[in-house]
Amino acid sequence: MWSRKSAMLGSLAVAMYLLGLTLRNSQLVTIAVVIFVFLTWAALFGGHADVASSGRRADEWTGEEGVALGSVTAMRKLSSARIFEDGELNITLKMQNHSSLAKILEVRDRVPEVMRIKDGANYILMELGPRRETLIEYTVECPLRGFYSVGPVAVRIQDPFGLFHKEKELHVYNDFLVFPKMEDLKETFVKSRVPKIFTGAVNIRQPGPGSEFYSLREYFEGDSFRAINWSAYARSGKLMVNERERDAVSDIIIIVDSRSVAETGPVSRNALVYSTRAAASLAKYFLGRRDSVGVIVYGDEVVSVDRDTGKKQLYVILTKLAGAVARGNIPLQVVVNRILPHINKGSPIIFLSNLEDDPTIVNALRDFRARDFDVTVLTPSSLEFEFDARRIDRTGYEVMKTERDVLISELRGLGVNIMDWEPDMLLSTALAGARGF
Amino acid sequence: MTVSKPSSDTAHLYDGKTVRSSAPSRKKAAGQIGAGSDIPKDAIPTVEIPTFIESLLGGPLVPKAKFLPPAKWVQTLQLVVYGVLVALAMLTYMISPPEGTIWYMITGSLGIATVLQLTLIVAATGTGFWGTFQRDGRFTLLSNLMFILAILRFASSKVTLSSDMFGLQDKPFLLSGLVVVYAVLLIMYFELSNGVLRYSMLDTSIRTNEVYVMNPQKIVGKYHRSLIINPIIAVVLATVVLSANSILPFFVGIFSKDTALRMEESVELISVYGVALGTFFVFCVVGGLFALNLPTHLQNFREKRAE
Repeated sequence: MWSRKSAMLGSLAVAMYLLGLTLRNSQLVTIAVVIFVFLTWAALFGGHADVASSGRRADEWTGEEGVALGSVTAMRKLSSARIFEDGELNITLKMQNHSSLAKILEVRDRVPEVMRIKDGANYILMELGPRRETLIEYTVECPLRGFYSVGPVAVRIQDPFGLFHKEKELHVYNDFLVFPKMEDLKETFVKSRVPKIFTGAVNIRQPGPGSEFYSLREYFEGDSFRAINWSAYARSGKLMVNERERDAVSDIIIIVDSRSVAETGPVSRNALVYSTRAAASLAKYFLGRRDSVGVIVYGDEVVSVDRDTGKKQLYVILTKLAGAVARGNIPLQVVVNRILPHINKGSPIIFLSNLEDDPTIVNALRDFRARDFDVTVLTPSSLEFEFDARRIDRTGYEVMKTERDVLISELRGLGVNIMDWEPDMLLSTALAGARGF
Repeated sequence: MTVSKPSSDTAHLYDGKTVRSSAPSRKKAAGQIGAGSDIPKDAIPTVEIPTFIESLLGGPLVPKAKFLPPAKWVQTLQLVVYGVLVALAMLTYMISPPEGTIWYMITGSLGIATVLQLTLIVAATGTGFWGTFQRDGRFTLLSNLMFILAILRFASSKVTLSSDMFGLQDKPFLLSGLVVVYAVLLIMYFELSNGVLRYSMLDTSIRTNEVYVMNPQKIVGKYHRSLIINPIIAVVLATVVLSANSILPFFVGIFSKDTALRMEESVELISVYGVALGTFFVFCVVGGLFALNLPTHLQNFREKRAE
């Protein structure tokens, strides 16, 4: 391919040649001829072959890149196929020259735009000897969750003066997944009021077999002697036994709003980013408690992960959260109508949304509350993200903030545990705030 | 953000609210930020809209890159540019006498044309020096344009010299050789001044870890070799191409000596049209070679020979 420099020189030569002929000036013709010769030499022997313009291809020539790049191949290895946000990924690119001629190559390994090169370089200028290979290592930082691909590898070869070049894209791709990062939670204050048949680690505020103290009562025949509270017996003179709070497995439903409006704000600070991180943290916490966790992500469609327990479930949830894209505008009511028949009565529901642009939110949450579901809403404020990024002025901010406060008050009136989650607030603090602690 | 206005204090709006763990700075800011509803200037993203010329060229004509202080190899290139610039300025003055310049056409005065032509050459040299020293593409481009303007001839003429110190005017071959050398110097100046910018860019990219260069000495060495070899080849090939009108009778002479003699004495063939015809003939051959995909075959040949 012609570079801009060669195109300009070529144009200058043509102009001088024609002007020289018109004016019968041999000096201009001479200069034009020298420029032509210079360009022709670079095109013929500059270590590449610019034949695309000829319209003909040799049978043995495979691809647009020409023979010179036909013998260059690439392989790539990633240190991990799954990492968490802000994690680092080591990429090793192996470039091989199968030809018997040395080549000076420009190699650029394409990494997703949101990634930052932390160590090394993905753009290399090198001389690759005959039948040699070389390893290029670099580290990228992955600040945002999602499915990503590294590649293709762009290889360029050009003459020393940069007049002509040939490019080839080696279609070597490696996919990897960036999970939302998780916050360590000590307590979520979310408990189920309805027991399930299997005992687990969640207190459900009913007396029964468990580990947490619930109350004292008088001794009846058949009570275990181990349950007798001897201090209470000493104080009251009656045999008293400790009752414990019943532990049980809970069903936890986490609903993540991934409508297009959820991405309002800067790329790295918006409601969807906060919601996915919160959902991941909560899922990890509840699954660690041996609860059964289900996740629903809705945007242009309703994507659900059925309730299940265990570490495998965590990775299933994380994968779904990593792939959550801000799209569509499905109202919450549609989601509620769809899931309501399938969730156990009294299961805690955690809803993560910026509560914007959906007139059905109040009715939908009222439906949950009417069926006695324990609803917790964490609402990352898009308004704050926008205001912090100085995308809205202060008057607009104040007006919208007031509207938002009214909505939050209305939801709180329905018995929803709700918290306006500001950008600097930790998830644990927001949860505690929502639960009134 | 605008200045503080006590009248617009809104801190009280937050006093009754359950706002836990919010940044104190925000609460404070909410009370202190002024009431101006204008959008802060830094909130408007900077959008670079290419100019018409940039759209045509597919990018800025002169890169606006900022460079780190030049490395030794860039300084060496700068020194070479200075040397080429001096030689080019002298040759430009020699082979572009004021007669036939655009200034002479406009003013009709040889004196004014001389002054303007000299001024143009000095300006081209000066901006070239400055552009190379500062590594500013705008000055370099201006210098290139001025050199092109200085050499443009708007009159029918053979090669004439304004200052013939070596008596070359009577030796047509040496005279055309001088023009070829001038043309090569002109291209080398274009290339080297551009090379200073390219290698400054590369040097900066290396030092800011944007690009990793394996064995930079070897890559720079190849460029240096090309700077010597390519001009020599260009001189030789251009001389051959420009002598096509002399070479042609030689080949014709193999078949018919009379025709060859007539061709040698033909006014048309030794005129500018003869030179152009010869050149056209040569480049038709070169074009044919490209059409036959010679570069690919050449590359294949080189690859196979290396095996």
